[in-house]
Amino acid sequence: MTASTEPRTAAQRPAVTATAVPASVPRRGLRAWATKGHLVAAGLITLAFVSPIYLTLVNAFKSQDQIISNPAAPPAPPTLRNLTDALSRPDRIIEIGLSNSALTVVASVLLIIPLGSAFSFWLSRRSARFRGIVLGGFAAGLMIPPAVVLLPTIRILTFLHLDHTYPGLILANVGGGYLSFAVFVYSGFLRSIPAEIIEAATVDGAGSLRIWWKIVMPLLRPATATVAIFLSLWIWNDFMNPQFILGPLKGQTITTGIYLSVGQYSTNYAQLFGVMLLAAVIPVAGYLALQKQFIAGLTSGASK
Amino acid sequence: MTTRARPRRGDPALGTIAVVALGLYVLFILVPVIMSAWKSLTDENPLLAQSRFVGIANYTEMTHDSALAASLTFTLILAAAVTLVANAAGIGFATLLNKTSLSFRVMRTVAFLPQVLSGVIVAFVWRYLLAQDGILNHVLLSLGIIGQPVTWLGTPHLAMFSVGLVAAWVLTGFTTVVHLAALQSIPVELYQAAMVDGAGRWKRFRHITFPMLAPGTTISVTISLITMLKLYDIIAVLTSGGPADSTQSTALYIIQLAFTDDRYGYASAVAMLLLVVSAGIALTVTSLLRRREVEL
Repeated sequence: MTASTEPRTAAQRPAVTATAVPASVPRRGLRAWATKGHLVAAGLITLAFVSPIYLTLVNAFKSQDQIISNPAAPPAPPTLRNLTDALSRPDRIIEIGLSNSALTVVASVLLIIPLGSAFSFWLSRRSARFRGIVLGGFAAGLMIPPAVVLLPTIRILTFLHLDHTYPGLILANVGGGYLSFAVFVYSGFLRSIPAEIIEAATVDGAGSLRIWWKIVMPLLRPATATVAIFLSLWIWNDFMNPQFILGPLKGQTITTGIYLSVGQYSTNYAQLFGVMLLAAVIPVAGYLALQKQFIAGLTSGASK
Repeated sequence: MTTRARPRRGDPALGTIAVVALGLYVLFILVPVIMSAWKSLTDENPLLAQSRFVGIANYTEMTHDSALAASLTFTLILAAAVTLVANAAGIGFATLLNKTSLSFRVMRTVAFLPQVLSGVIVAFVWRYLLAQDGILNHVLLSLGIIGQPVTWLGTPHLAMFSVGLVAAWVLTGFTTVVHLAALQSIPVELYQAAMVDGAGRWKRFRHITFPMLAPGTTISVTISLITMLKLYDIIAVLTSGGPADSTQSTALYIIQLAFTDDRYGYASAVAMLLLVVSAGIALTVTSLLRRREVEL
């Protein structure tokens, strides 16, 4: 690395190119092969890596016999039987699970976004020392294993008469590590907004709530996208909280629903893959549609 | 705006929201930790009418609880091994996929897919792949690598390996994307200059790529470790902690103590231990990696 940053003289460069010229003709053919080899290697490794997802996809459209005789083959002829069977179960586990999960996600995220952004804006105007302490506390909130706070959380919800209810589950989502994540993303983003923009609005005489809603929220839009996308995904995929806070009697989210229902499919792979595909299709479709925002949000911290 | 709406010091509206947010943090993070700390000094049990203060009895019990020792060892080894494997695989995979043509963009998109799926779905699908008559045995048998089907989830050591395999598979989706972003932030000029100097592929990787990846690696390793110390859903579905409790992580042990054995007091003490261990590991590793970034 030290060599690369050294300034080089104009005279050195042509000399290097000149010596490289004779070798470049056989090298070009070699490089084309290397590029092709690279593509093939990358393709094979990627295929091997995603093979569990490929198997779920193809086997969801195959009969049990087709799966057993050749699990990796494409569905020929394809059948929709597994999907229609999963959707016509008497306990309606897929439909109920999907709607309960959707309700939990939407309510939790719609509460966390204004709460997290307004709190972060308020925090950005406090002293650096106070801000540091509070953000440190929220960082700890992100790291605490949920199993550590699960039991006391249920006790608190019982005290509030919200145990085994959706409002209880949503409240625990809003107050737990998810809010910490939102505060972290918003606080990081607020640091990049010049103070003058907000000061100018303050001079104009707008109240702090108005400044937050009219000026800060639009500026924070990329951060809101990150928070909304990741919290939706995590809350949708959450298993421990719905399993214990909601319990088995108050209906199922999609994750606890498939956990309960799949046991009976342990040997009926066709049914198993049908259920898995239906449970996975919404987050995967969301990811494919919002890919750019997904990756941008995930990597904003990594490429700094 | 009228003059009446001029800025007031300590505008109450925003302050109210701040108090609500802080209050929720206190209620669902701080209070539970304090409650756990307090309960860990009692013998609370929902079957008993009253709980008694027992001092540090739960903590002394932990020192000769072999199930706890086994679960903590499993958790720590799993976290270290999976973090190492997933980040090495992520760096390798990211280096391989770091091209801009369409086929590579498609590969990058699918490489993240395991992260999008719920751990419950991932574990169910892998349970099928790893079954006695599952696909992995099928493939290995037909390649002649194994002579007879392997019980991937049936014996303690293999089950531990399988949990690690599935967790590493999921995490590699994440580590790949983080390292890809870090790779794309490396200036092309560095490589050009190194090539002019005659540095080969390995030297360029060793002296440019690897050190320049450091900020990405810090984040990726820290989040991998935290994820592994929290891990619950994949294990719960894949092995439920078995066979013979061999894959019972400390998170699973806490839940078993609290919800199956009804030992709230002791479960709280183990929860405090996991909290301290997780915090210690997260802080140590982050500061070590940050120092490495500066040195590189």
